Amino acid sequence: MIIKTNQDEIQNYLSDASNFSGNCRSVYLPFSELEIIEILKSCHQTKTKVTISGNGTGLNGGRVPQGGIIISLELMNKIISFDSTAKTITVQPGVILKDLQDYVESKKLFYPPDPTESNCFIGATVATNASGTRTFKYGPSRDYVEELRIVIPDGRIINISRNQFTAKNFNGKLIAEDGSEINFTIPNYKMPKTKNASGYFCAENMDMIDLFIGSEGTLGVISEIKLKLIDLPSSIFSCIVFFNEEINALNFIVEARDHSKNDSAENSSKKCDAQGLEFFDFNSLKLLAEKYSQIPAEAKAAVWFEQELSNNYDFIIDTWMSLINRYNGQTDKSWFAVNKNDQDKFKEFRHKIATTVNEIVTKRGLKKVGTDVAVPDKFFVEFYYLCKNKVENHNLDYAAYGHFGNSHIHLNILPKNLYEYELSQKIYSEICFEAVERNGTISAEHGIGKLKRNYLLTMYGESSIKQMAALKLVFDQNKILGIGNIFEEKYLNY
Amino acid sequence: MKIAVCVNHVPDTAAKINISSDGKSIDNTGVTYVVNPYDEFAIEEALKTKEKFGGDTIAISLGNESNKETLRKALAMGIDNAVLLKTEEYYDSLSVAKALAAEIKAQNSGLVFFGKQSVDFDNSIVGQLTAELLNYNCVSVVVEFELKENKIIADREIEGGKEVVETLLPAVITTQKGLNDPRYASLKGIMAAKKKVIEEKTLAKPNNFTEVIGMKKPAPKQPGKIIGTDSSAVPELVRLLREEAKVI
Repeated sequence: MIIKTNQDEIQNYLSDASNFSGNCRSVYLPFSELEIIEILKSCHQTKTKVTISGNGTGLNGGRVPQGGIIISLELMNKIISFDSTAKTITVQPGVILKDLQDYVESKKLFYPPDPTESNCFIGATVATNASGTRTFKYGPSRDYVEELRIVIPDGRIINISRNQFTAKNFNGKLIAEDGSEINFTIPNYKMPKTKNASGYFCAENMDMIDLFIGSEGTLGVISEIKLKLIDLPSSIFSCIVFFNEEINALNFIVEARDHSKNDSAENSSKKCDAQGLEFFDFNSLKLLAEKYSQIPAEAKAAVWFEQELSNNYDFIIDTWMSLINRYNGQTDKSWFAVNKNDQDKFKEFRHKIATTVNEIVTKRGLKKVGTDVAVPDKFFVEFYYLCKNKVENHNLDYAAYGHFGNSHIHLNILPKNLYEYELSQKIYSEICFEAVERNGTISAEHGIGKLKRNYLLTMYGESSIKQMAALKLVFDQNKILGIGNIFEEKYLNY
Repeated sequence: MKIAVCVNHVPDTAAKINISSDGKSIDNTGVTYVVNPYDEFAIEEALKTKEKFGGDTIAISLGNESNKETLRKALAMGIDNAVLLKTEEYYDSLSVAKALAAEIKAQNSGLVFFGKQSVDFDNSIVGQLTAELLNYNCVSVVVEFELKENKIIADREIEGGKEVVETLLPAVITTQKGLNDPRYASLKGIMAAKKKVIEEKTLAKPNNFTEVIGMKKPAPKQPGKIIGTDSSAVPELVRLLREEAKVI
């Protein structure tokens, strides 16, 4: 392994894409699972805090250390095996998502999870249950994890496959590789039915592998991952539609969403079967207009959708065309990708909005305040306007976009000064509360990390947080791993 | 006015290019082809000119069946008609220019847009040759284009600035990045493009004056050198940059 102790060498590990930063003594870069065991055992004995680091693309401070040491998995970046018949791939945690996607696509297979930032480590996408645009059709990372190897803080290894260990009601049991049993109680809070990345996955009779997916580096270090792949779609129909009225764009999404869910379930010809339904409000388009002069001047909102095509090309295009016409979308000025190159440009367009917002607030010496809330579909349009009104009532700069097919909103507030930053935080908190009121989630995909713990408390209540802490202590008696992620350290001391 | 735009079908710039076993052509395995990026500016300028002054637009491409994909894209962007000058043979730049000039003449087009070069073989010559063969005026590497009746005022990009050129129709314009932001195909355009027929004209054997006799890959990049991982390595790095690499 490589150990970095010089402070100027480890600065890069002390923050993430949220600009939140911390400190630590040293960074350990293991080459193998054996080295992870060695590090964890030693830290377990000395009660040294360990923070696991991905590639620093997170938005909630999850990888940001608060003392102790870091284990960064960047050197464990090998593809271990690939099975084209079984359609699986086994990798080390430090493989970059984009590299994995390119690799499997070159073999005509497909790994659907696609968080907007594709430079993340695959291990981190599992630890945070990352999702993205295609989650609308394909679900989050969780749905593709077949098998995990996890080193827990005392150095034991848990090798777990899907369907191998199932909880009995709320009683969980795992058998470590050394034969020892690990028994624990699964928290009994009810998770929202929306897309969700808030707190441990907990459910009656759950598959125990799901506990580790989305556990944000608090239960163990993932050392190996086996993922399920699917066939590579032969071609993709990708389109950015512009609307002159925002409400038309929203209603278009609602209908396309319902069609996609119902048509694909009931009808094998699958008329509307979007992979993703992404929304951009007028402010987002205004921010992008500087870089994209092709955006129609009169557009008040846009929707980007993608759908796989087989031989029913004409049928699918006609279906979308009539849907676009029904909501007065601009068929003559909307953008249509005719090849992979254009598709990538549309993806870039989506990515650009997030990076542009970051550039603006960073120039102002501030941080953006961005929601990651999702609500049940039936509340979606009402909830969207509620969020928007809250921000507009205070005359704050904002841009609203996101995975609206999943009723999942990234409302980004761009404060101009410290006063506005604090005001934005207050509005953010109100929006989280409103989402919870509607049985939604405070974080649909970014996770809790160290920045959203208070909102998780709002969502599940203190007794549930204590149950999570109790569960963590079963795996981490000496309170060393990922301390401060998901819940505050104090909950480990009750 | 009939506006022509000549488009080429080239390997995606992100594609990894290998040389095929004959040693003088590209191995197409796994290589994606796209519209030559500079030709997208040509298509956009043709469309903008048509929108302003009316007329008819036609896209012309020389190559095999696969070039139809590029012509389809031009149609989807809004070009009215497309012609494929079909051949499986190798055409050198002059042969390409001769075939294009003949077609432009047949189409009776007085304003022709080309990308300033194709990113596959980078000869940067076909537009100019075609203009000469047609006896048209030619302005190359254009970043601003204005048409007033039959007069053209165009800004050309030159080292460190721009040259403003005036000329008359008929003319060939070769387009440079910065001239415009090419539009994406619209849904309406796609629907319309699907209904259009690409006219095919089979070409006779070319009379080439140059022949590609081999292709070579650049020498592999030398591996990098890690001098150290912390600030103690800086003096050595500075020394090497100064004495070995001679860049500071």
